[in-house]
This record gives sequence, C-alpha cells and structure tokens, in this order.
Amino acid sequence: MVERSQKDVWRLSPWLLSALLLVNFVLMAFDAREITSGQRVIRTWTQTAADFVQSPITSITSGVYNYFASISSLRSAADENDTLKVRIQELEVEVKQKADLNSENERLRALLELKETSKYKILTARIIGRDPSVWFDSSIINRGTMDGVKLNMPVVADGGLIGRVVAVGPLTAQVDLVTYSKSAVGGIIGEIAGSNALGVVAGTSKKDLLEMKYVPGTIDVQVGQVVYTTGQDGIFPAGLKLGEIVNVVSGSATTPHQIQIRPSARLTSMQEVGVLLYEPPGKAEFEQKLPNAVKAK
Amino acid sequence: MEGVKLTIALIVAVLLQWSLRNVSEIFAYVDLPLIVIVYAALQRNSIRALIFGTLAGLSVDALSGGLLGSQGFSKTLIAFIVSEIARRVYLDNLLLRIPVLIGACVVNSLVYFGLHRLLGQPPQGDLIVVGAYSLIGTTIVGTLIYLLFESLGNERTRPKRRDVFSSRRQTRRRNPIRLAK
Repeated sequence: MVERSQKDVWRLSPWLLSALLLVNFVLMAFDAREITSGQRVIRTWTQTAADFVQSPITSITSGVYNYFASISSLRSAADENDTLKVRIQELEVEVKQKADLNSENERLRALLELKETSKYKILTARIIGRDPSVWFDSSIINRGTMDGVKLNMPVVADGGLIGRVVAVGPLTAQVDLVTYSKSAVGGIIGEIAGSNALGVVAGTSKKDLLEMKYVPGTIDVQVGQVVYTTGQDGIFPAGLKLGEIVNVVSGSATTPHQIQIRPSARLTSMQEVGVLLYEPPGKAEFEQKLPNAVKAK
Repeated sequence: MEGVKLTIALIVAVLLQWSLRNVSEIFAYVDLPLIVIVYAALQRNSIRALIFGTLAGLSVDALSGGLLGSQGFSKTLIAFIVSEIARRVYLDNLLLRIPVLIGACVVNSLVYFGLHRLLGQPPQGDLIVVGAYSLIGTTIVGTLIYLLFESLGNERTRPKRRDVFSSRRQTRRRNPIRLAK
C-alpha cells in the first residue's frame, strides 16, 4: 500500500471531493430521470444484494418481537376468547346469509348470461426493510420479478390499499405508500355504481392522513363516508378501499370540497402485505399518440 | 489498523441503518453512518473520510425512497468540511467533537433536503421537525459512540503511558510510605 504524506493528502483531497461530488450529482440526475421513466436499475440491484442481509435480520427481530408480544398478550387471552366465541356465532349467521346471496347472484347472472369477471390474484409478501432515511417512508418486500411482481402493481393490506411498486428486482421490490406527497389515486366517495363524487386522493406526507381533491362543492359529502379507488387512474383497479372521511371543509358551486381521509390500512405497523398481480387495461391507441403520453418501453 | 477498524465500524453502521427501522421507528432518527464518517474525518485522513462518505451515503440511498446519490453528496461534503476543520483546529477532546457532530447533522439535513427540492423530488418529512428529531437522536447516540470509541482507545494506550511515566510515578508513590515507616 502506498503511504502518502499529509501534504499529499491535503493536496489531493479537493480534487477527490470534486470528483466524488460530481459522481453523486450525476447519479442523482440519472435517478431523478428514472423516477418518471420507469425502472430504477442501480437501485433494484443494490436492493437485491441487501436482501441477503435484511431477510435474516428481519426474521430474527420479528421472531424475538413476536415471542415477547405473545407473552404479553397471554393476560388478555381469556377475555378475548370469550369475545371471539360470540363473534364466531355472529359470523356463522353472516356466512350463511352470504352463501344465500352468492347462490342468488349466480342464478341471476346465469339468467342474464353474464360472463364471470376475472379477479386478480394476490401474492402475499413480507416487509423485510423500511426506508433507512428518515425523510422518506418506502418499504421493501421480499417478492420480485421471479414471483411475478411488476412495476406499478398495487399493494394492499387487511384494511385496504397501501401503495404501489416503484422499483422491482429479481428478489425484492420497493413500495411507495399512498401517503407519500407525490402519490395520487383516483378516488370515489361511496360505491362506484351509486355515487358521482369523483376526485383525486393524494398523500399529505403524514402517515395517518390523505387528502381528496377536486370533489365538486355542490355534491353532499359527510364525515364517515368510505372512499374507494375508481380504476380510472390506469394503475389501481376499481373498488379498493382507501379510507374513511374524517374532516370536510365544504366548498361552493365554484370551489371544491377540502376532504381529509384516514387510511383504512394501518400503515404504521405493517408486516405482511399482499401484491395484487393486476395489470391495468392497455390505453386506447389514440391516447398513446398524444404528445404528452408516457411511452411504454 | 485504524483504517480497518473504521471500515468495519462503517459496515456495521450501514447494516444497522438498513435494519433498525424495522425494529422501531425511533431508530430512523439516528444517522449511524454520519456518526462514523464524522469520526473518520476527525482522524485527519481526508481521503479516507471522503471515500467513506460517498460509499456510506450511496449504500443508504440504494434502499431509500430518496434520490440515489443525495446522501452520498451530503456525506462526502460533510467529510471534507470536518476533515478541513480538524486540520486547522485541535478537536481531540470529546466536548469539542459534539458541536462538530451537531453541525454535521444540520448540514446533512439542509443539503439533503435542498438537493431533493432542487431536483423536484421533495422529501416526505418537514425540514424543521425531521431535522430537529434527527439532530437530537444522532447527537445523543453519537456522543455515546464517541465515548465508547474513546474508552476503547484509552484501553489501548494505557500500557504505553505507564511505560513512559513509570519511573517518575513510582518514586512519588514510594516516598510518603517510607516517611511513614
């Protein structure tokens, strides 16, 4: 190894600083361009390499956490057991009613000669890493292209929509949450068939709050109503639950409502999620010819 | 040998930064690679500090939702500034290192936030709030880590000091005992 004198080090360091800053800046510019154009190559391969470290660490930490959590939950187990027994009885009645409704639905469909609509599959995934930087809140899941995950696929949890896949490697994928300030989803208040309160649900950078924009001020909106995806954004399928309205500042005939929504999925304590293997229907030919259309690679 | 130890410390810091947020959200406010980079820069080897800054920054960026290279940029810049200050000012005392770490943390937040705004990718967190929490977390943990590093360093240097001052100390200790007898 070449030993350098302090004088050499001091002479070289400004040049090295300039070179390294330039490299970093070029990487940043390249990455900023990739965000809008699609796959982020360098990032996905680094994530794949990091998976070999993150997966074992996550397994160990979650194992330890679950062990202590199970001990602490033993106390409330007896009360919970009684509550659950009652709930099971209620659910049995509901299941019976659902079965009746399903059979009725099938009979009516047969009568109307409707074809069965194909539903998308759900791929379960585990969150193996959270954003190491405090400024962002993306998550890394243990599923990648080898499992069939593709860019922009929606990610859901028990409560509803969580976000979408923004970078995907062979073994891992990066998910941006709906609460990220740059994310936006087409939303509708209430059921799709019975409502015309359409708008855009955007992130607010706060973990427990979304904002719905562009809902006309003339439409009646109440606190407690549920917001679903419309499927018109070309990324998310219709009918996924986004959240519940918690605050409405009423608009007028010329100004839209200001609506705040609490996400239905618990974004702060996610461990298991589901990736919807859903690909949006292709855009119409005339739409792809528009000058500002994003060209498919 | 010092370089090897610092490299190991940096690798451990990056691995912990990747994984600790899974355990608790609080750990996100502690920038472990920054602590190691500032320590490396205080050793007056600016080339090593600069390389550490870029590598650690890029490793964190790769798993982050932010722009690839933004942490690399800010940490490289900090490594240079700290090593230049350490070259001119005597900073071997722990009490003097704490303000340096605080300054580094502030510059890191400002540069990172500014770069993202500049390239049209505003970060999710608020500059003041996230910056303040990050400053508190990094300073507390950084001070503890520097104390640990210092105590490890003292363990290593203790025998040398005894060798240097042994004869003088022995005479000073013996005299009062002899007088008492």
